[in-house]
This record gives sequence, structure tokens and C-alpha cells, in this order.
Amino acid sequence: MTRYAMVMDQRRCIGCQSCTVACRTWNELPLDILYNPVVGEGVVGEFPHVHQTFTPLICMHCDNPPCTICCPCKASQQDEDGIVWVESEKCMACKACVNSCPYGARDVSALDAPLHSYVRKCNFCKDRVREGELPYCVATCHQKARIFGDLDDPNSDVSKLVNGLNTNRIFPELGTDPQVYYIPDLGGVKL
Amino acid sequence: MSHKMDSNKLEKHYWIWPIAIYLFLGGLGGGTLFVAGMFDILYGPEAGYITALAVLAGVACLGFGSFLLVFELGQPLVFLRVFLSGTAILKYGACLLILAMGFGFVNFLYYLPAEWQLFYYSWTWIRDLCCWLMAICGLGVMVYTGVFLASMKAKAFWNTPALPVLFTVSALSTATVLLAILAGVWPMPADFTVQLAGAAHAAEFDAHKLVEELHFIDSILVIAEVIVLLVYVLMMRAAGNITARTIAIKWLQGAWAPLFWGGMICLGLVIPFFCYRLGGAGAEFIAPVLVLAAGLLLRFMVVFSDQRHEIAGERRFYNRLPKGDEAFLHEWKAPY
Repeated sequence: MTRYAMVMDQRRCIGCQSCTVACRTWNELPLDILYNPVVGEGVVGEFPHVHQTFTPLICMHCDNPPCTICCPCKASQQDEDGIVWVESEKCMACKACVNSCPYGARDVSALDAPLHSYVRKCNFCKDRVREGELPYCVATCHQKARIFGDLDDPNSDVSKLVNGLNTNRIFPELGTDPQVYYIPDLGGVKL
Repeated sequence: MSHKMDSNKLEKHYWIWPIAIYLFLGGLGGGTLFVAGMFDILYGPEAGYITALAVLAGVACLGFGSFLLVFELGQPLVFLRVFLSGTAILKYGACLLILAMGFGFVNFLYYLPAEWQLFYYSWTWIRDLCCWLMAICGLGVMVYTGVFLASMKAKAFWNTPALPVLFTVSALSTATVLLAILAGVWPMPADFTVQLAGAAHAAEFDAHKLVEELHFIDSILVIAEVIVLLVYVLMMRAAGNITARTIAIKWLQGAWAPLFWGGMICLGLVIPFFCYRLGGAGAEFIAPVLVLAAGLLLRFMVVFSDQRHEIAGERRFYNRLPKGDEAFLHEWKAPY
């Protein structure tokens, strides 16, 4: 069984926002929508001992997604390979899913035509992935900070990284079981 | 309806005034059907002549609330899919709304003046059945408005069992007020009295006595609401979650403190309690307006306290995005 997941290697990410721009281009997003911003708290520490960490955000394609459960139209759905996506024709833009997502991974555009707006979110570029290609943000990342693959395949990079290194997840305490793993900037080596 | 373009997702309100009013009207309408249904059940179907207009008003509240809910959608026509698929809380809420309106309206038809009655008049079992179903669906709608918000895991201030309790008490309080305002106004004659089979404390019952009872019930409900409201906000103030704590501080000590202490607690709940105790015009005119206004204010304050858990660095990112470019970006939207 396939279970797609992504690993963000924060040791490699330089916050160039290439993935942010690439995603926007590939998905032809309106100007007020971002699927994967790269956030950071700025430079910390005291010179010369300073460092900066970047956190690339994206839909976590949770194993227990609150956004699909609350969708009254079944527009928000999860495939067997774990990809969470929105079928725009079925979406009435009630924004229940937007409010239920703890990661802010969903949004509606103010630039949509009146009465024709719908909820947008990352779908791991599922059309590319099912043709054997990588999501566009992963293919674009020149630092190789984004790693994508099948978590259930023990030979995949994603599986090796998640099982071999210390990784973090965002808000696991909410019970959403997010499937985007972060290798922390200062650390990551399993003790 | 379309939303203002806002580059900062952390400050963006995805549900705005139509949803706040919808939640208020849902609680008010559902609560009215529930309380009126309970009066019918406890005091016999004759009591329905006193509460009939309030039932119609309750149905109208639910109808207008449903309109606002649909009005707020990005694609209103897709709304029909709610009834065909899904197991979400919103779907159950929408179904309960429709059923409550239907049963409430049928129940009201039985209390029209005799000359307006049609063939159904003798089928009283339908009226009795609708009374039960109206009360059950009304209860469902009333509770659902709070459960709906409390189910949002992302929202620190909503995701607590205290919220449905607060909304339910507030809905009961506003519903009691609506019943008191409209009790005996129409369609019953002015000297109408009900011979009560089940009431131990009075052989006869009229609109005036019902209003007195409703004022007594509401004076208890407003005190209960003060307690639940304070427990809810103070619990959030003491929460470990920093987002919930920040919002609670805003309510208790920050920018919204005048609205909370002055508007909701003092004007909306404490003063109505004393109006009820003193009786007279204060109980009849001032208290109902204040209680209804406090119910609406509560929904607005809760709906706009919708901040989610913040991811480290997120605020800095969104604060650095360009601001004030909405007009330019709007013009730039082609070809999307």
C-alpha cells in the first residue's frame, strides 16, 4: 500500500522561496493564495554565534484529517495513498475545512468570481505524482531540502529518513497525525 | 459572499457577520421551538394557543438564519449537495434546521383561527406528533450551533466543551424572552384561558401567567449564563494554549473588555436579572431587548475570536508580505 509523505530537511533549506514561487506558477494560483510559504523567526543568537532556521509549510496530508471530516459536501476528500484534495466542482466554499485545519493550509481567494469561489489547497501535485514525477516544489528545490516518496516503501528516501533520523511534526498533539516530517536544523541525528 | 483580500492569514476571519447572526438566530429559533414544544407537552395542547406566534417567529428566525448561511457560501447552488452526501456536523445541522422549520410550521397551522382551518383540523395526532418532533429538532439545532464551532480543532478558543454549554444556555435564555414577548399576542382571544390538566399549582392558565413564569425562568437562565460565561473565559485565561490565553486576555482585560464586562455581563445579563426581580416595564420591555442584544453580541465576539494555533515564524512571514496593494492586485487578477 502506498502512503505518500514529505520530509523537510531544515538543515538544507535556505529560505529562498523557490518552492513557493514554483508552486504558484505550476498551480496557476491567484495572487492572494500561497500553498507553501517558507517561514522563519529570523536570525537568532549573538554574533558570531548566530543561526537562522526556515520552516517550509505545506498541507500536512494528515492521516486523520479534520478537514475531510467536517466537509458537508464530500468535496474535501482523501485518497487511499493519503493525498488530501478538494474537488472544486463539489465545494460550496462554506469554509468549515479552512477553519478546521490547524496548519492554515487551506484558503479561498478574494479574487475568484462572485458565487464561484472554492477552497484551494496543495494536493501534492497528484497528477504529476501518479505519472511517476515529483511534486513541483520538490522538483524545484535546488537544495534538495524537500524529499517526497512512499512512506510504506522501506527503500524510499522518505522512509529511510523518517525511520533513521529524529524528525519533528507540527502539532502532533492535536491528533491529526500529519505526514510531513521535519529534520531539525540543529540536530536530526538519532542518538 | 466575497471576502476582503487580506495577505495575513493569521488575522483573516473566514466566517464573518452572516455566520454570527446565523448562529444567534439558530439558537434563538431552535430554542423557541424547544421551549414552546415543552410547554405544549407539559401543559397540554391548549397551551399552544399562547405560544403559537412565538413558534412562527422561531420558524422565521431559522429561515432567515438559513438564508444567511447560504448567502455566506462561495457557491450557494452547491448547497443542495449537503442533503445528498456527507456525514459532517454541518450536514446534520442543515437537516435539523429544515426539519425544525417544517414541524414548527405544521404545529403552528393547528393554532390558526377556526375560520382559517382546513381539512387537517381534526387530525390532532399530527399536531401532537409535530409538537414532539419540533421540540426535539429545536433542541438539536440549539445544541448544534455550539457543537459546530467547538468541533474546530484548529481554533483554540472554540475547541472546548464549554462552548456548546454556553451557546445552549444563551439560546434558552433568548428563546424564553421571545416567547415572553409574543405570548398571547395572536391568534388567541384576549380573555383566553387554558384549563390545565397537568399543572398542580394553578387550575387555570393564561398568557399573563405564562409571561410571569417565563420571566422567572429567564432570571435563572441569565444567572446561569453569567456563571457559564465566566467559567468559559476564565478557563481559557488559565489555559496552557497561548492563543486561547491571548484571546481570553483580550476579552477580560484588553480591547474587548468594555464589550465583555459592560456590554455582555452588566448590560446584557446582570441588569436584565434585576429588571425581572423588580417587574413592571423593566421586565417587559428593557430586559428582553438587553438579553437578545447580549445573545447577538456573544455570537459576534465568539465568531471573531477565531485565531488558530500559530506556527513559529508564521506571523513574521505574513507581516512581511506587501500590504495596501489590494486594489493593484485586484486589477492584476486577469487571466485567473
